[in-house]
Amino acid sequence: MQIAQAGGWPGETIRPTQRRQGWTGQGLKRERRLGYVFVAPMLLFLFGIIFFPLAHAFWTSLYREAGVNIRFVGPGNYARLLDDPTFWNSLRVSVVFTAVCVALHLIVGMPAALFLDQLRRGRTALRLLFLTPWMVTPVIGATAWVWLLEPHFGVVNYLFRSLGLIAAYKIWLGEPGLALGSIITVDVWRGFPFVMLILLAGLQTVPREEYEAASIDGAGALQRFLYITLPHLRYLLVVATTLDVINTVRTFDIVAVMTRGGPINATEVLPVLIFNTAFQANRFGPAAAVGVVLLLLLLVFSTLYILLLQPERTWARVR
Amino acid sequence: MKDRKTIPLDTARLRLSRRAVLRGMVGTAATGLALIGAPVRIARAAPITLQYQTANLTEAQYAPVWKEMFAKFEAQNPNIKIEPILVARKDHWTKFVTAAKANQAPDVVAVDIATAAYNGYLRPLDDLWQAEPASYRQVWSQDVIRAAMWKGKLYGLPSWGGIYGEIYNKEIVRRAGLDTNKPPATWKDYLEWAKKLTKEGQQWALAILAGKTDTTTRMLLMWIWSNGGEAFDPDITQATFASNPKALEAIEFYLNLDLTHRVGAPGAVNINYLEQTTLFAQEKIATMRNAYWGVAKVVGDNPAIKDKIAVAFSPMNTDKKVTLATMAADSISKDCRHVEAAWKFIKFVNEREWAIKRITVSNWMPMRNDIAGDPEASKDPLLAQFLEYGRYARAYPLPNPLWADIAANDIVATVQSVLLKRASVKDAFAKLDADLNRKFKEL
Amino acid sequence: MTPNRLATIAVWMAMLLLLLVVIFPFYWMVNTSLKPMSEVFKSPPAFYPSQLSWAGYVNIWATRLMGRFFLNSTIISVGSTLLAMALSALAAYGFSRFRLRWEQPLILILLLTQMLPGTLLIIPYFQLMAKLRLINSYLSLILAYVSFALPFSTWMLVGFFRSIPLELDEAAMVDGCTRVGAFWRVILPLSVPGLVAVAIFTFLLAWNAYVFALVLTTDPKMFPLSVGIANMLGEYQVAWNEMMAAAVLATLPVFILYGFLERYLVQGITAGAIKG
Repeated sequence: MQIAQAGGWPGETIRPTQRRQGWTGQGLKRERRLGYVFVAPMLLFLFGIIFFPLAHAFWTSLYREAGVNIRFVGPGNYARLLDDPTFWNSLRVSVVFTAVCVALHLIVGMPAALFLDQLRRGRTALRLLFLTPWMVTPVIGATAWVWLLEPHFGVVNYLFRSLGLIAAYKIWLGEPGLALGSIITVDVWRGFPFVMLILLAGLQTVPREEYEAASIDGAGALQRFLYITLPHLRYLLVVATTLDVINTVRTFDIVAVMTRGGPINATEVLPVLIFNTAFQANRFGPAAAVGVVLLLLLLVFSTLYILLLQPERTWARVR
Repeated sequence: MKDRKTIPLDTARLRLSRRAVLRGMVGTAATGLALIGAPVRIARAAPITLQYQTANLTEAQYAPVWKEMFAKFEAQNPNIKIEPILVARKDHWTKFVTAAKANQAPDVVAVDIATAAYNGYLRPLDDLWQAEPASYRQVWSQDVIRAAMWKGKLYGLPSWGGIYGEIYNKEIVRRAGLDTNKPPATWKDYLEWAKKLTKEGQQWALAILAGKTDTTTRMLLMWIWSNGGEAFDPDITQATFASNPKALEAIEFYLNLDLTHRVGAPGAVNINYLEQTTLFAQEKIATMRNAYWGVAKVVGDNPAIKDKIAVAFSPMNTDKKVTLATMAADSISKDCRHVEAAWKFIKFVNEREWAIKRITVSNWMPMRNDIAGDPEASKDPLLAQFLEYGRYARAYPLPNPLWADIAANDIVATVQSVLLKRASVKDAFAKLDADLNRKFKEL
Repeated sequence: MTPNRLATIAVWMAMLLLLLVVIFPFYWMVNTSLKPMSEVFKSPPAFYPSQLSWAGYVNIWATRLMGRFFLNSTIISVGSTLLAMALSALAAYGFSRFRLRWEQPLILILLLTQMLPGTLLIIPYFQLMAKLRLINSYLSLILAYVSFALPFSTWMLVGFFRSIPLELDEAAMVDGCTRVGAFWRVILPLSVPGLVAVAIFTFLLAWNAYVFALVLTTDPKMFPLSVGIANMLGEYQVAWNEMMAAAVLATLPVFILYGFLERYLVQGITAGAIKG
């Protein structure tokens, strides 16, 4: 009898595990233990390097300091956050920033992936070129963009004015809306290649025969995309988007270099808020609280995603 | 993928026990980690190493001075080695605080005294200071020493500072038909000059600083003070930006230069020292309110501008002349384990010889009061002018532990919201007063 | 012209425009790095230097420890890569070949690690490293970067390993190999593309990291490239030509590495993402 098994790994499909039925009970237990032996080094490593500092950070979030006086406030810092307009502003900025960036990563990455997929020659070279922004250190890339966007001496203003796209020089990092748009642009510039790469990898597993059959049936390019490509890429898109959201929410370097959260906190995403609260305002307890909240939000988001995969598992068991 | 099933596996060789393989891997890993893990230590011929961190070790203007200074100190004190901690200005405080929190702060630092002392990062210097002979201590005036104190204790030896004046580009002034020998002394004259010096789209009279650093606050305070207004009460426990009528008047005048008269370079919200000095060096603005170091910077950018520079006292709207002077002081951190050596080093750094070098090479004003008449120091007439303005200077930063945060965040956000037309001056600064008062209460 | 032809041309135009936007900042970096300081602020900006000047490149080598920065970055990145590869390969083998009861919680823990905001951990991590006397050491940075890279690396490798049929393991064990032997001799060699993908990913992560290196190194001789270059942003002085020269030099090795190994990255992601 075949039992289908699905695991919790992203994109995991159902596989037959006939072979495993053959192991004896005793052997299986020993095998399990050996499995943990393999996993143990990584877990111990993470435990030592991540969880001690994380626990310490959580502990810090329960205190509030006033100079040398540090007093225990328990959930006080968290309660304060709910009343703090700076926090809500930061949350709003983070949500907007992440949503727009991830969407644009896909909107730019998908056509690029499709284009590269059907290229016969020069695919590798073009793929490399498209990947270049992702290779650059964010700090360096952001600094280069700061120079490009310089209002008086930067080339973007000059180009846009010469091409008639703008009437007067714009202060790209000096107005709230423009500043947010600028950091989004830099993040999309930097972030779309990776999404494109994942999508490209996925596209190459779509069976060509389906496309051929569809075109014989008279389906146009758009229909082929909607009814063949997208369904095949469903899991991949979910996986890629989730990872992208998790990574984009944590963007720090770009914003820190370009705007430091200004003007008037218009670009103060949550990681920048944590940093500013800790190092500019010297309020480490509240900063740690924001950090923990951010972590919890991401946790909720990821749990929802894993739940999204759950239906597949229960469905498999029932069958 | 090649089919590997057919590769014959030599059973004898494969009888490696699990343990042996694991042992081997762990051993290699451990050795490898140990080799790369060994922290790099500087060759310690000397028993004592002092770490010194200030934001300006990375400024090109200071490098020649401190390199010479450290070398000389080490030559004179062979058992002490100086380890400079290089960090960009914007990261200086972050790095210091992270280290302080782990009780690993550098031995000698130059940081904001009130904030650092309040948070317990610094060691009071009263015992060391009082142990010095009176003749030594008199070199620093009472005012200057007071500026380095917090809650009655001394936390730093004042080292250098910047005195602010108005710097003009004589050529642009002349082209506008104005008299370079009669720089504006009143606000009214200043506004007239500004209008004449502005050619929309090409050049502007000044750059209004509204970027996210505390230089924005310095400018704002100068304008407030030059109207006889006050932004805070004497104890810095109350903010009076909006409640002090003269302060409000000054803010309105200053910000209207951009909002109404449009004589300031566009993009004020983005302008800090870097942008302001660059604009001046590229002759896009006619004046800049800055300290003597600004002159060195623009001349470095554009050597041709050297002969076009004139300096004057900033325009006043009140009888009493006042300007702003920043102060940097060298402090000893709480974690320092070699206090005697650190104090020796601090005294050395602040000796006359180095104060003069800092003037002539880096263009920083001395805090010692025995330099003013020095021929070497007053060789440059511009420098002499700045030193003269120092007589009317008020100390900055203001002694409040929240100052670093307020000056770079709250006040800046308020200025930005006005310039971006999000709020009127009165509303924005009334809100600022309320916010600041609330923060002060929580101290 | 047929609508098909028109569509093709439109697509090509769009892609070329995208390519232009992608490449332009690099072009401008190189352009600025080759200008003498006097030309940097020319208005309107020059698209090519009227007089080619290597001053930017020369100055950064003369006045800063660029060579040392390169060495540090290389050591840290290579060290992180090796350690991450070892740990994630072992863990991925465990996940893919054994039915672990605690698989779900372990996955969650991995994901949790992926989600941690770096700024939250700087101070406690520094304190931990200070206690272990690892400030100013390569190891402190390597440990941090490996922990950041582990979740994604493990995930990629699990997918890759799962695409290798179990029969191969069993064939090896039938022939007398232990589990570890099967892992070492059969599975690892087959998963070279996956391992290379992990290596590239980790290398890049380590090479590009900034904030942790900023606080964990005090001795300039230990700065990696990112910190060394960021230090060039003075409050008054930014020699843009020098800054861009440093940026170009810092990016070049990554480009070259990528040029050689990029297809492995694609293969690794393919396996990890699709067949997982």
